[in-house]
Amino acid sequence: MINKLLILIILTFALSSCMVVKGYEKVNLNDPDMALKDRKSQKYSGKFHSYREGSAGAEGGKSGGGCGCN
Amino acid sequence: MLKVVNQVGAVVVIRLMKGVIIIFAVLVSFALFGQNNTAVKSDSVKLFKKRVLENAEIDILASFYKQQGKNAAVTGGIGSEELTNLASSINVAIPIGDDGVLTIDATISAYSSASSSNLNPFKQKSTDGDDDDDDDDDDDDKRLASGASSGGSPGDKHKVTANSPWIASSSDAKEDTWYGVNIGYSHSSDDRNTIISTNFSVATEYDYNSLGGSVGIIKLFNKKNTEISFGVDVFFDKWLPQYPAEINHYRDAEGDLESGFFKGTDILDKNGNPIDKTGTIVWQPNTDGIDEDSRNTFALSMSLSQILGRRTQVAVFFDPTLQKGWLANPMQRVYFSDVDNYYIGNPSSVYYYDHPSNTDVFQLADDIERLPATRLKFPIAVRMSHYINEFMILKLYYRYYFDDWGVKSNTINVELPIKVGDNFTLYPNYRFYNQSAAKYFNAYDEALSSSEFYTSDYDLAKFISNQYGLGIKYTDRLTKLHLWKVAFKSISLNYNYYRRNIAFDAHIVSLNIKFIIN
Repeated sequence: MINKLLILIILTFALSSCMVVKGYEKVNLNDPDMALKDRKSQKYSGKFHSYREGSAGAEGGKSGGGCGCN
Repeated sequence: MLKVVNQVGAVVVIRLMKGVIIIFAVLVSFALFGQNNTAVKSDSVKLFKKRVLENAEIDILASFYKQQGKNAAVTGGIGSEELTNLASSINVAIPIGDDGVLTIDATISAYSSASSSNLNPFKQKSTDGDDDDDDDDDDDDKRLASGASSGGSPGDKHKVTANSPWIASSSDAKEDTWYGVNIGYSHSSDDRNTIISTNFSVATEYDYNSLGGSVGIIKLFNKKNTEISFGVDVFFDKWLPQYPAEINHYRDAEGDLESGFFKGTDILDKNGNPIDKTGTIVWQPNTDGIDEDSRNTFALSMSLSQILGRRTQVAVFFDPTLQKGWLANPMQRVYFSDVDNYYIGNPSSVYYYDHPSNTDVFQLADDIERLPATRLKFPIAVRMSHYINEFMILKLYYRYYFDDWGVKSNTINVELPIKVGDNFTLYPNYRFYNQSAAKYFNAYDEALSSSEFYTSDYDLAKFISNQYGLGIKYTDRLTKLHLWKVAFKSISLNYNYYRRNIAFDAHIVSLNIKFIIN
């Protein structure tokens, strides 16, 4: 699994050299719903997952700490 | 039970409303000050720069959460997990000059929990007929101790009754409020290719305090097609340990089952018969408390985002995390399979103790949950957003997680934002999650007393969960609705239903209203 993810990271780097999207071409990418993070309104559902599940983190936010949970 | 939850809910709502109004007023003032301050400074800037944040933004969030299940950790992996939680928070982002953004987030979260209430499921009834909720109250303990030492006249004698793990008790632990404040600042370079940020947080609840901080840096390059971020988060948390009531009483009585809380109270064996409390085979819990009240967290946050085309972008996240200190919860009971079981309450209910129809007998704890003093977590995740067309976006998320406690998990999340007209967006979503059990997990009454570590917390059990949700958002693009300088921007409502394959489900409704300060 780790190997696959490492390959994915390397692939992502490699793809970065394939194409450069210019600023004026980013109109679709700049749509707020395209953001690579949870919406603010999902804050509480993310928090309850960290309480009720044995794993947390890597969600583009904080992981662990701040409560007597996970 | 329902009545108790409703009363608690009403009090909590009033408390939350007061808090929200006060915080809202303070933060709007703060935001306006930030705006004015920014305007003055902007006049002196010679070189035109687009502001990182044009206007101050205020997000008000509220949520209602309700769960139910049959494997409560406070009662050793058996019993009602019924819990309701009301939470509210205000998040304000204020532009500071052209390059900076100050964010302030204040959250109040209040719960009512059947499981936590059974930290103390006992009620003391004096022989003169008065009921006395045993809320771990020092006065009660002193009176009991005094009664015992006075020779135990009939008037001093107390009889203890118990609730079962399946119903809520009226102890202090039945409800709690979590308060948290988070203040952050980020600063962008003139070319907007470097962003540094710092963050400070403080939180407190009934049995836990937390102090946190973080620093981070984001670098953009490749004409802002590639973004790398690196951050360090630390939390210095502290337990204010609360123990199961019977263990506290056993410690107070110094193991003498004929004195204090236990005086005049039958302790029952597995057949419901009173034991000889002066005999050699009696209930003997482990009374060792926690030897370290700190729980510290050190996390690295790394991410790489890459634009793959005009419609697609992807990011990889990796957050290795080390936790040190008392990582178990001292409220949570454990029952050993190789030790006899003992109870307080109605003898006739003992034989169906593990059935929800049991309302009046409670099994005495053998120990509290014990877990290693360190935990190393490795979550790694990939996110992708793809702009299908002007009406639809596809968002995918996958996370693989493993740690040195033996928990491995997979999380998949799919969301499909659908734009309906100019102002509405729908957010149907599905989340799949599975995890393996921590190597210290034991089901109810299956832990071994010879083990060093054990827990019956089903959040660390093996399970699969599915979550289905739908959100709707209304956006006023022109911010036509406004009051003075505060303009309404958007409102969104989300509902999610979460269900495990091990007798647990939850509902969560959340509301988000966004304003802009002009």
